[in-house]
Amino acid sequence: MTYAVLKTDGNPQAAIRSVLRGLLSAKLVDAVMVAARTPYSALPMPALCSDPAKLEAADPLAPVAPFNAARQAASLLRHDSGRRVAVVLRPCEVRALVELAKLRQCTLENSILIGIECLGRMENSVYLETLKEVPDLTIAFYQSSGYQDRVTTACQACLAFQPATVDLAIRLLGHDPADSIGLEALTDKGRSLLGAIGMTPAQPPDGREAAAAVTLERRRQRRAALLRDAGDQTGSMVKLQEYFATCLNCYNCRVACPVCYCKECVFGTDVFAHPPEVLLRRAAKRGVVKLPTDTTMFHLTRMAHMSHACVACGHCTSVCPSHIPVADVFIKVAAETQALFHYEPGRDVNEPIPLLVFEDEREEKAG
Amino acid sequence: MSAYEPKIIVMVCNWCTYTAADLAGTSRLAYPANVRLVRLMCTGMIDVKYILKAFLDGADGVFIGGCHPGDCHYLNGNLKARKRVAGVRKIVEQFGFEPERLRLQWIGASEGPEFQKNMTDFVEAVTALGPSPVHDAMVL
Repeated sequence: MTYAVLKTDGNPQAAIRSVLRGLLSAKLVDAVMVAARTPYSALPMPALCSDPAKLEAADPLAPVAPFNAARQAASLLRHDSGRRVAVVLRPCEVRALVELAKLRQCTLENSILIGIECLGRMENSVYLETLKEVPDLTIAFYQSSGYQDRVTTACQACLAFQPATVDLAIRLLGHDPADSIGLEALTDKGRSLLGAIGMTPAQPPDGREAAAAVTLERRRQRRAALLRDAGDQTGSMVKLQEYFATCLNCYNCRVACPVCYCKECVFGTDVFAHPPEVLLRRAAKRGVVKLPTDTTMFHLTRMAHMSHACVACGHCTSVCPSHIPVADVFIKVAAETQALFHYEPGRDVNEPIPLLVFEDEREEKAG
Repeated sequence: MSAYEPKIIVMVCNWCTYTAADLAGTSRLAYPANVRLVRLMCTGMIDVKYILKAFLDGADGVFIGGCHPGDCHYLNGNLKARKRVAGVRKIVEQFGFEPERLRLQWIGASEGPEFQKNMTDFVEAVTALGPSPVHDAMVL
């Protein structure tokens, strides 16, 4: 059995909670990590839940994500704890988690990955504002393209909105979430779980493929525009300087990035903690030097380190205090790097990282 | 064109290309003085930051010389360099650096004349390109 339809009676979050509750109650998993509201804010945060009665606040369909939760999932799966943990993630989070597994920063051995078909996330502030207009935003979002237009630039240009490499996928396209949502098993593990929680097999709704195709086409156009505009805005050294001119070297983008994988970043070490002699020498050489130094160096180094693995989640833009559209240029550079190395992050946990495969001459000619 | 003398950073591995440079020197094979030679134990230890820093600090060209594939003293350092260079070149070319400003070449220890020829060629090529885009920009 691979597809099941869940009746939602106007409350898709409740339907998902009942599935997660089923997994916990039947002891198929020991704990579930899922986005859930805290008692203090409507902004859902990843929560690790082991008591089925404590799942009421789970809201994985809310169109918001305070950060890319791959990091939290990777901490939870840092080594095999002997417990079975289900993690409910967006597709960009799953892809980042797969990249971290390749770097041996986590293991997916005993995990159950549940992916959500994602129509995007709003910035936290936009989400909280919109919530004032529409208290039942999670439903309204999936029923109105008006709200869907409020998602981030990165989400609007995302082609990978369907979860892959997961055990179970929560399907929304082609469904009216007020009436039903889909649950699809993509692996043997997923199929046995679906059976174990008593789901009955069903056909996906007729309009599903067409709805996915429409979304994909719209996203393709947005992505083409994003890549073109980012290229136009950064195509020379002067333009790149203008683009990052208000960067404060706060490194929030690095912290928010789920695939900036170094345990210790070189930009936090003495390598870039220049003594006065170095700063004065640089000033003397060029006449004037901006402080803090190495802003361009930072962004280019980050591109060189992680652009092969960039999952285009857009969180670097979301956290920028100077409102620089960091993600746009990173998504553009990542597209070029990934095309060069014929690599797609998160596609397959067994696919090696490009920089670790250097003995074929296909894409790089000496000279 | 006459006033412009490009600054060229040349990173070479100790075992092959540096030895070739040494041979070129002892053989009295002259090559342009634009070249600033940096000796490393292996091209495999060239961090992408070395290349980026050279460019951002005003190098007009970066040349990396290593052992022929199969001859690396550390088995495959040169192949690692090849992969990294391909990645960095793809990045810098998107910000206005001509890809020809970054060149990787295999030059074996006995190839003194090859070293001379490569230096002459590269300096000529970079001279033809003109000053690096960094010359017009304050790099933040």
